[in-house]
Amino acid sequence: MTTSAATTYDLGHARPNGWWAMVLFVAGETTLFLMLFATYFYLRLQSRHWPPPGVDKPAVLVPSLLTAALVATSFAMQRAWRNGRLLNRVAALRWLALAGIVQGGYLIWQVHDFVDACHKEPPSHSAYSSIHLTMLAIDHLHVFLGILLTAWLLMRFATRITPYRLRTLQATAFYWHAVNVITVVVLLVDLSPHVG
Amino acid sequence: MAVASPPVRRRIDRLERIWAERPGVLGWLTTVDHKRIGLLYFWTTLVFFAAGGAEALAMRTQLSQPEEKAIGPATYDQLMTMHGVTMIFFFIIPMTTGAFGNYLVPLMIGARDMAFPRVNALSYWIFLGSGIFIYSSFLIHSAPDAGWFDYVPLALKRYDGGLNIDFYALGLIFNAVSSTVASVNMIVTIFRLRAPGMSWNRMPLFCFAMLAASLSLLLALPALVLDCVFLELQRKVGFHFFDVAHGGSPLLWQHLFWFFGHPEVYIIVLPAFGIATSIIPTFARRKMVAFPLVAMAELLVAFIGFGVWAHHMFATGISSSVLVLFGAASMMVVIPSTIQVYAWLVTVNLGTPIFRAPLLFIGGFITFFVLGGLSGIMFAAIPLDQATTDTYFVVAHFHFIIFGAAVFPLLGGIYYWFPKVTGRMYDERLAIASFWVTFVGTALTFFPMHIVGLLGMTRRVYTYQHGLGWGIYNLLETIGGYILAAGLLMIAGNIAWSMRRGIPSGRDPFNGGTLEWATSSPPPHYNFAVIPTVRSAYPNWDEEDRENDLLRLEDDELVLSTGHETPLSTVNDAALDRVAEMPPESPWPIVVAFAVSIAFALVLTTHYVAAAAFFAAAVAAVGAWNLNEPEEA
Repeated sequence: MTTSAATTYDLGHARPNGWWAMVLFVAGETTLFLMLFATYFYLRLQSRHWPPPGVDKPAVLVPSLLTAALVATSFAMQRAWRNGRLLNRVAALRWLALAGIVQGGYLIWQVHDFVDACHKEPPSHSAYSSIHLTMLAIDHLHVFLGILLTAWLLMRFATRITPYRLRTLQATAFYWHAVNVITVVVLLVDLSPHVG
Repeated sequence: MAVASPPVRRRIDRLERIWAERPGVLGWLTTVDHKRIGLLYFWTTLVFFAAGGAEALAMRTQLSQPEEKAIGPATYDQLMTMHGVTMIFFFIIPMTTGAFGNYLVPLMIGARDMAFPRVNALSYWIFLGSGIFIYSSFLIHSAPDAGWFDYVPLALKRYDGGLNIDFYALGLIFNAVSSTVASVNMIVTIFRLRAPGMSWNRMPLFCFAMLAASLSLLLALPALVLDCVFLELQRKVGFHFFDVAHGGSPLLWQHLFWFFGHPEVYIIVLPAFGIATSIIPTFARRKMVAFPLVAMAELLVAFIGFGVWAHHMFATGISSSVLVLFGAASMMVVIPSTIQVYAWLVTVNLGTPIFRAPLLFIGGFITFFVLGGLSGIMFAAIPLDQATTDTYFVVAHFHFIIFGAAVFPLLGGIYYWFPKVTGRMYDERLAIASFWVTFVGTALTFFPMHIVGLLGMTRRVYTYQHGLGWGIYNLLETIGGYILAAGLLMIAGNIAWSMRRGIPSGRDPFNGGTLEWATSSPPPHYNFAVIPTVRSAYPNWDEEDRENDLLRLEDDELVLSTGHETPLSTVNDAALDRVAEMPPESPWPIVVAFAVSIAFALVLTTHYVAAAAFFAAAVAAVGAWNLNEPEEA
């Protein structure tokens, strides 16, 4: 099954257990974010001014561009998975590395902006600052978790491909698609004060 | 089983060698065997149950008469809070999903283990760590003290400045990690490890109940976790989620808490439904009536449970139109619940029931579930709910449900599967006696609470004055509490005695219909010598199939005796997909749990950098654990 002549592994007809586990984990994460969004709008409904006077509305351009770059890594992860599936280890590794670099760059930039925002409007300033910064922090945390997974795969694919690693890549690619969708929604919620 | 031929004997010996784990304490610390992990959950949750019970008895002693001074108000608050937290998070959920689910689900679906055995061990050790974490609060007299629902603003730093609430919030976040991991494992196990042929319509109803409970846990817990994160951020770092002066809202806590809290009721009760649907067909000696309807009703209860959270908030001043919607949604829960009650009763009625102890406990369960359900429907009537909010009427209702409806099936289940787990029979006469004592104790403890609640006694009070007419009811409740404790001690005594002295039970003493009864008692490490094939929802009653298992063992078909393996099947039809190698025992789960436990303790004491280091160590340990990849079949 894993001979050198093989062009792919027999991973069975059904989705692997790890993929299902990731789907369920993402379902839990999605609920967490839905609760965050619900909290954001619940608190917004309690306030006359959102954001409160003296607090700037969130920046639009840079977060949007960063998010677009992050979303593009879904393509890279999918290419990595496709190449891995064909046992093309080097190509898979390259796509993974590309994705990892963009994801890492995204996070570094976002954390820098986050620290800056914490100085400008500390979370102890108002309910708006509290939920705004908490939502971003949790989003950055789950991007960080994804980067750990990408880094792990880079290490594992550097030596060889095994069915176990391939399944991990499949699950991680799914995770990144979900992270990217959630990050887009986080961005939209964050920018919602611009639309009234 | 007939005398095994030499090749069969060799295969079985090989399976023994492959699946055996290290003996002694080290074996238990590194185990990934679902049965051992189930037993670890069982004994640990029993300890927590004893602690929660002792807290209840201390409270009942204090309330036995007006102006009693057995314990002071601060201690009472801590005991009351820890009683609720313990019974829900450290007894019922881990007992049902952790002990019963872990031990029985792989056996019922014909698998050799859970889908992720090491993750299974991790969920137990994290559960244990979270329990020790939250109970260590008693050592510094700082146990959680704002009720199990921990309402703000009472739980904010301003009114509760010690570590009490921090133990609560961090302890529950910690515990949620365990429950989330366990839920994912349970769902994937049910999806992928069912024996060939066990399509959805042939899966035991117990497994449907575990599936529904696990899905609910997975989707409800994030709300509680987020609520606790908000609370800790507000208490420790000065955020403003619940603070009106800065744009927050105290009701936000309640919305998030009850978004978790109401599904939680079904998370607790659904496994009890599953146990009932296992015990009833066995002792009624017929298949469950309306099997597909009952399966759907179990899933529907879990689904509707997510739409009724605000019925815990009818007295908080939210708008009438919202109240009416939630009142109507609350009524809807009656439909799937009633389907199940009718199915249980009709199955018993159409069968030829033998009223042994497990079935008696199910009878007690149905009685209390119907009584508690009737008072539950009353709460969907908004004016009545508003009139009885925060009175003992509510306490009576939820104890009929949580103790009567959730714990009674657990007690019946303990008796029912005792022979399977130990290979010995319990004492039937003592078991029946223990049922009646427990039943009378439960009724006497919780029924008078309805009356005293309607007389106006509010909950969460540590004492009350003379002359209010509450004394006699409280005294009866306290007497009932001690009778109930006696009943539970009788069960514990029966188990302890029978484990050593009970007569050998044989493989299947009750002629059960599900697959756990197809293997020896106690089951071998590998569960089944040959992976069974399934053609009905009660495969152990399909004698021809079970005889074919012996032939397939002779033919070496799905014996899988060359590796530490279990078959994987397709999700819908349970057709054989491939064979997967399972990981062996591992020290990493306990190492990860230990690092996470230390990290939580450091967060509690605000040593954030050190805590981050221990979280990083936990991540590194997860990496080390994954270096050992299972070889693929």
